[in-house]
Amino acid sequence: MKLCEFIRPSTLAEARKALRALGPKGMPLAGGTALHFMQGKTPITAVDITRLGLSFIKQKGDLFVIGAATPLSDIQRHRGPRWAMHEICRRISTHQVRNVSTIGGNIARVFPWADLPVVLLAMDARMVIYSGKEKEIPADEYFSSQPARLFRDGEILTAVKIPVLKAHHGFGSVKATRNAAAFSLVTIAALLELDGGTIKKARVAAGSGIPFPQRLKAVEAALAGKEASPATFEAAAAAAGASAKWVGGEGMSADYIRQLAEVSVLDALERAAKFARGRVE
Amino acid sequence: MHKITHPVSFTLNGEKKTFLTRPDEKLLSLLRREGYRGTKYGCGQGTCGACTVLLDGRATYACLLYAMQAEGREVRTIESAGTFDNPSDFQKELVAAGAVQCGYCIPGMVMSATALMESEKTFEDEIVKEYMDGNLCRCTGYEKIWVALRRTLDRRAAEGGKPAAKRTSAKGAGK
Repeated sequence: MKLCEFIRPSTLAEARKALRALGPKGMPLAGGTALHFMQGKTPITAVDITRLGLSFIKQKGDLFVIGAATPLSDIQRHRGPRWAMHEICRRISTHQVRNVSTIGGNIARVFPWADLPVVLLAMDARMVIYSGKEKEIPADEYFSSQPARLFRDGEILTAVKIPVLKAHHGFGSVKATRNAAAFSLVTIAALLELDGGTIKKARVAAGSGIPFPQRLKAVEAALAGKEASPATFEAAAAAAGASAKWVGGEGMSADYIRQLAEVSVLDALERAAKFARGRVE
Repeated sequence: MHKITHPVSFTLNGEKKTFLTRPDEKLLSLLRREGYRGTKYGCGQGTCGACTVLLDGRATYACLLYAMQAEGREVRTIESAGTFDNPSDFQKELVAAGAVQCGYCIPGMVMSATALMESEKTFEDEIVKEYMDGNLCRCTGYEKIWVALRRTLDRRAAEGGKPAAKRTSAKGAGK
């Protein structure tokens, strides 16, 4: 990619029109941190989408709506009723990157090590896409493969909607890395819906260590209907290995990453249970 | 190579400026060729923090920001933090603690610490680490930098967290 032109539309309609006209020669830019690493010599026009009012966090009834151009540091610092997004955002890259990198940038083009797709899959988030009008796509569909397929005709990701967690909900996210600012080796997120001491429903997702973020259905099945107890969590975590195809790298074997995933699932479930019991900030 | 034909205007260390740039030029490169050489080129890939500047008061890697992204915004470089003759409190403490070996990381460290001091009212270790997690030092092992920063922050907290007088536009310092 060779950045050869840079435009700053002031409305969403203008931005969409520009991206539509540019086709593959256009690229929406928010934080822009990923663009610096794109190889190749294709001439590209950057369409700056940071001046369209897409940086916000609002609560609308049962949902939090996060603007696509909201920097990770804003999400990290936000506090709201049973807000759970700050933990993972604190663990993404460094302070300087979190200040410019956006939630939209993290999920519009999914890198295998990206953390937010994992969290949004577990939370059953909905992505809002603008194409003259707005449509919402549930996380399972959105992350079923590379989301680039959804942005072919100038469509723009404008917001992410996540449910406001209820008192009987528990959420936990875990990111295993070699050091604080490193890319993820394994990222796990778990959402538990409890009915008294019983797990009514569970959504557990993983990323990094596998080719593309995905839900761990075998882990979820091992949780549903069971008692929210350490024994249940251990049995469910043990199902993580067979639930996805774990890949090694950087001197780490696939088996090691699988084990790391299993303990991370256990950790995420314990955190989720603690969250449901009433978390202390 | 594209010609330097794209104007970009932003406030630099308190002064409104217009520069000519290219769409693919990084803010770091623009700043350095315009004489603001206190901002260092370290890794060039958003890891080391030597190029840290403040964009609307937030610490940012100038090597991961296109100059065109700065349009209409407020950029501050190390030249705004203090001068050789009039160093900031943290700069004085860095010298006193012997925290500077090769010194290449220091301008970035100072800018991250500036963001910390201007944004937060209290300075618990966890908050300090959060603001400083994007700055690497490969000489000292951080111990003395931490000591210098802790002294600066503790004094600031003792003084009631009053913000220091704003220093701007001292172009040429910190080379």
